[in-house]
Amino acid sequence: MAEIYVIVGTGAAGMAAAERIRLYKKDATVIMMSIDEHSHSRCMLHKFLGGERTEEELSFVEPDFFEKNEIYWGKGQKALGLDTEKKQIRMENGYQPYDKLLIATGSVFGIPPISHFRTASNVYGFRDLSDAQKIDAAVRAKNAKHVFIVGSGLVGLDVATGLMERGVKVTVAEMAPRVMPLQTDDTAAKAYQERFEAHGARFLLGIGASDSVVNDQNEITAVVLSTGETVECDFVICAAGVRPNIQWLEDSGLAMERGITVDEYMQTSAPDVYAAGDVTGLSGVWPNAMDMGRIAASNMCGVPTKYTDRYCMKNTSNFFGLQMLTIGDINRQVEGADVYVKESKNCYKKAVVKDGVLQSILIQGDISHTGHWQYLIKSGINISELLKKKDVFDITYGDFYQLDDMGEYQYA
Amino acid sequence: MNQCYGCETCKSADKPLESFIAGLPMETSHHRVKGQSVKCGFGLKGVCCRLCSNGPCRITPSAPRGICGATADVIVTRNFLRAVACGSGCYIHIVEKTAWNLKHTALNHGEIKGHEALKTLVEEFGIDTSLDEHGQALAIAEKVIADLYKPVWEEMELVEKMAYAPRYKKWKELGILPGGSKSEVFDGVVKCSTNLSSDPVEMLMTCLRLGISTGLYGLTLTNLLNDVMLGEPKIRLAPVGLNVIDPDYINIMITGHQHSLFTHIQNRLIDEDVVAKAKAAGAKGFKLVGCTCVGQDLQLRGAHYTDIFDGHAGNNYTSEAVLATGAIDAVLSEFNCTLPGIEPICDELKIKQICLDLVAKKANAESVEYAYEKREAQTEVIIDKVIAAYKERRGTVPMNLQPEHGNKNTLTGISEGSLKEFLGGQWKPLIDLLVSGKIKGVAGVVGCSNLTAGGHDVLTVELTRELIKRDIIVLSAGCSSGGIENCGLMTPEAAELAGDSLKEVCKSLGIAPVLNFGPCLAIGRLEMVATALAKEIGIDIPELPLVLSAPQWLEEQALADGCFGLALGLPLHLGQQPFIAGSELVVNVLTEGLKDITGGQVLVEIDPVKAADQIEAIILERRKGLNI
Amino acid sequence: MKRIAIDPSKCDGCKNCALACMDSHRTDGKEGVITLNFQLPETEARNEIENDGKGGYLPMFCRHCSVPGCANSCMSGALKKDMETGHVMYDEKRCGACFMCVMNCPYGIPKPDKSGTKILKCDFCNERPEGPACVAACPKQAIWVEEVQ
Repeated sequence: MAEIYVIVGTGAAGMAAAERIRLYKKDATVIMMSIDEHSHSRCMLHKFLGGERTEEELSFVEPDFFEKNEIYWGKGQKALGLDTEKKQIRMENGYQPYDKLLIATGSVFGIPPISHFRTASNVYGFRDLSDAQKIDAAVRAKNAKHVFIVGSGLVGLDVATGLMERGVKVTVAEMAPRVMPLQTDDTAAKAYQERFEAHGARFLLGIGASDSVVNDQNEITAVVLSTGETVECDFVICAAGVRPNIQWLEDSGLAMERGITVDEYMQTSAPDVYAAGDVTGLSGVWPNAMDMGRIAASNMCGVPTKYTDRYCMKNTSNFFGLQMLTIGDINRQVEGADVYVKESKNCYKKAVVKDGVLQSILIQGDISHTGHWQYLIKSGINISELLKKKDVFDITYGDFYQLDDMGEYQYA
Repeated sequence: MNQCYGCETCKSADKPLESFIAGLPMETSHHRVKGQSVKCGFGLKGVCCRLCSNGPCRITPSAPRGICGATADVIVTRNFLRAVACGSGCYIHIVEKTAWNLKHTALNHGEIKGHEALKTLVEEFGIDTSLDEHGQALAIAEKVIADLYKPVWEEMELVEKMAYAPRYKKWKELGILPGGSKSEVFDGVVKCSTNLSSDPVEMLMTCLRLGISTGLYGLTLTNLLNDVMLGEPKIRLAPVGLNVIDPDYINIMITGHQHSLFTHIQNRLIDEDVVAKAKAAGAKGFKLVGCTCVGQDLQLRGAHYTDIFDGHAGNNYTSEAVLATGAIDAVLSEFNCTLPGIEPICDELKIKQICLDLVAKKANAESVEYAYEKREAQTEVIIDKVIAAYKERRGTVPMNLQPEHGNKNTLTGISEGSLKEFLGGQWKPLIDLLVSGKIKGVAGVVGCSNLTAGGHDVLTVELTRELIKRDIIVLSAGCSSGGIENCGLMTPEAAELAGDSLKEVCKSLGIAPVLNFGPCLAIGRLEMVATALAKEIGIDIPELPLVLSAPQWLEEQALADGCFGLALGLPLHLGQQPFIAGSELVVNVLTEGLKDITGGQVLVEIDPVKAADQIEAIILERRKGLNI
Repeated sequence: MKRIAIDPSKCDGCKNCALACMDSHRTDGKEGVITLNFQLPETEARNEIENDGKGGYLPMFCRHCSVPGCANSCMSGALKKDMETGHVMYDEKRCGACFMCVMNCPYGIPKPDKSGTKILKCDFCNERPEGPACVAACPKQAIWVEEVQ
């Protein structure tokens, strides 16, 4: 009988894994299961909310992906528990046995401990398509005019743009003193803030919500700020962080900390059980989830592969036509480091170099030809010789240009 | 993000200027360097030919000839000759206009400020001394004009009178004595048109003819005729840099090369009735702010114009910065080095642009084809327009003044005449210093600034620093002077940067280690100094411990100038090669072969230290040849 | 798969390849460099030439990598390595303009277009039978198509 490969989750890690398993194991049975009815890219959810894309258009694989790869897809199926002894997953309507299992259930949004937030009926997250659908329905039902968003990270700003597209006014509360605090410094944040504000958003920076007002239908109608001000709203969205989605595994006996503990082969503490993506707590960045999924799949198929390219402090953003790339912690004070800054009306660049090694970089404006920065930072390449000849921002891949025997580029 | 236009400005030898430009809210040439940094190799090597509809043809190893059969040598030389002929045409245009201005001045009994200059020319040209000054000036102008208009087969009469005899003999032997300057340009461009000359060597010899015509007429004579009308240079200390701009005045930035063209305007601007107009508009009066070579010309003769001329603010690629201070109300331009890129800046800052010569008409400028006979009416129109611009813009346009930029004590006003006078009316003291080795040699660091030899003025200034460190005195003419002076190397204090013996010489004479001859036209003056030294010692020019360098040559005019240097037999250093690399023959002739023809040679080196090494080596070799 | 091989030492920086690329991807229905409009922001090449700092040139052309960093970072499914041709193809309609691919190509090849709503990268001239336009336009044979594993 064919081996059964089960993947729980159809996000980046799950899908990348499925494709890889099929590549290695032509005859295996591959089963995927997801809560959502549509496989979707969570990074595109704001486009659905904004009315730019349908549910189908959120998919990041071809419409015939499951068919073509002969994968059974259990839509709308929730995994409730795992028995590693019996090698089966507990479902709402029975058990799903596996020979090899990949857990790629991603993460879930958290709700901050503000009164009524966890109990009110109109507090939403923005993680899965179901979240976006709930918000969409709430906007329609309430003819919403004003939404309160907690958190101004990438997710908070994504949901804000989706709502602003629909003419909804947003108020974004951020505990940090600037927007997108992990990716920006003050200057870069200001550029984004100005653009959002020009489109009608309101930011409350360095301000938290301390209380809320609830009506008789258990709906929050206003949020009370730490300053005492009351901001009225039709509903609330929490975009202040996520945690690995591991609650369903509590009784499984798998070793877990913040996320599921995995070794460098993406294997969990149980035989034949692997985990990849956000659920491991290793990284919340798309390319890393894809890598983890593929690496776990390779190992599940008996092709030993290590997860080594773990660098995950990297992101790009593109709001209101302003692009930004950030690699590393641009705000970390590094003793003895040189900080280079360039600024003009359409660009802002900052680089931190310590002992000839780039620690972090931020490029806002045109982000063409910036792919080498991630490589230089994560590989710890010493650029001190180059810095004698040129400005740090003038360093390009060209400075390391080399072709291998197959005509692919590599770093000299 | 802030208000700066862009993050990608090029470097500048003048660091305060570099940061000023980097901080500007408008685009300048300095912002565009990076976007143009990848140069087409075919163009760079001169092997792209666009002379006919079969083209553009480009030479590659697998396509060594154009469709017509032209080789790389032919294509390169045609392109090069075309550039030299165009460059010569520019300078000949200048001397032509200057000679006519002198003629008009003489006929109208206009002011003659340079009595000594007139006397020298009268002697040199054999003019009837019984004539009065205006008669003499008229005779000189007519001789020059007559020469310029000769056919190409008729040798120009003044060549023999101006050239150093051994050189004249050499040129005659080589058959490169030029006919009429305008005709030489004409024949030059004919030769390099489609399917005409295909003889690279003959075309290179034509470049030398054009060089002689350019050097003696375009450069040397323009200086001397201007000296007659506008006064001889006098050595003095003067302010330079953006600090010269005084916002209390109506400021006119002038660009170009034809000082005598706007003499009348210059004089009117200090007349009481005109000053009264300025005062009525709210200003203290008018000031001319020097920019590009004509600014250097004004600075050189600045002793005569202390009341109207504020000082030299900057060279060609500093012009945008001068405008960006916000305190310039109008640009009067009469010739080249008036960058197209100033046009949007002028529009943005509501700066009135007026062009005085149609050959340099700016797209968005008003054209007032300035003519001697119409000068009075035209001047009034121009003044009124400038005042109108002042009224319209002041208060509405932001000021971005740089009162600390540059310095107040640049040694200027040096010419073949004023230098000799400074030396006590003789060249011997300088020769003695050369012989004793206190001054190892002379380098003429001339030409333009470009933005690609390390950045604005970067190679020029770094090379100059290297040379003076090695006790080689530097004489400068052209936009190179603008860069060197703003960087402080022409102040007496700069003696500290010189080698020990040169430092001692500078300190004892109270001079700077870099002597400022002013505009690029004054390359002609440097060559007069070279000739005078050679004559005094009794040797030919190629034997002198003297090297020319145009580290940041920019334009076709510079190539024509360079050809004069090569015809004189001088070694000529260039930071970047002209577009000739595609022809081994041309490269060989210019870098090696010429040594046996005129004694000249081209050296190409973009590294300042290596360039200084090569220049010093030649100087030492020449010293050895002279047993000193 | 077919890959555009590069000999940087032969490149003379003439950018004929860039012109050919612009021409091959124009949307105004016209053809030929003569009618290319350089004023339009969409007239932009997908290939570039850089200086090597020593007087030579570095042709920057998408390698359609065996492990494509760009496609591995694509959140919308717009970038995919075609298993048949081996080429990394881009579906503009799917693209979410997040520009993670810009960050994740270690060689800096895909770039946002001037409108900031999509990326520009080599599509092998849509597998046209005569091969990529840039290759045909190179006067120095510094680029050519080669079959690689």
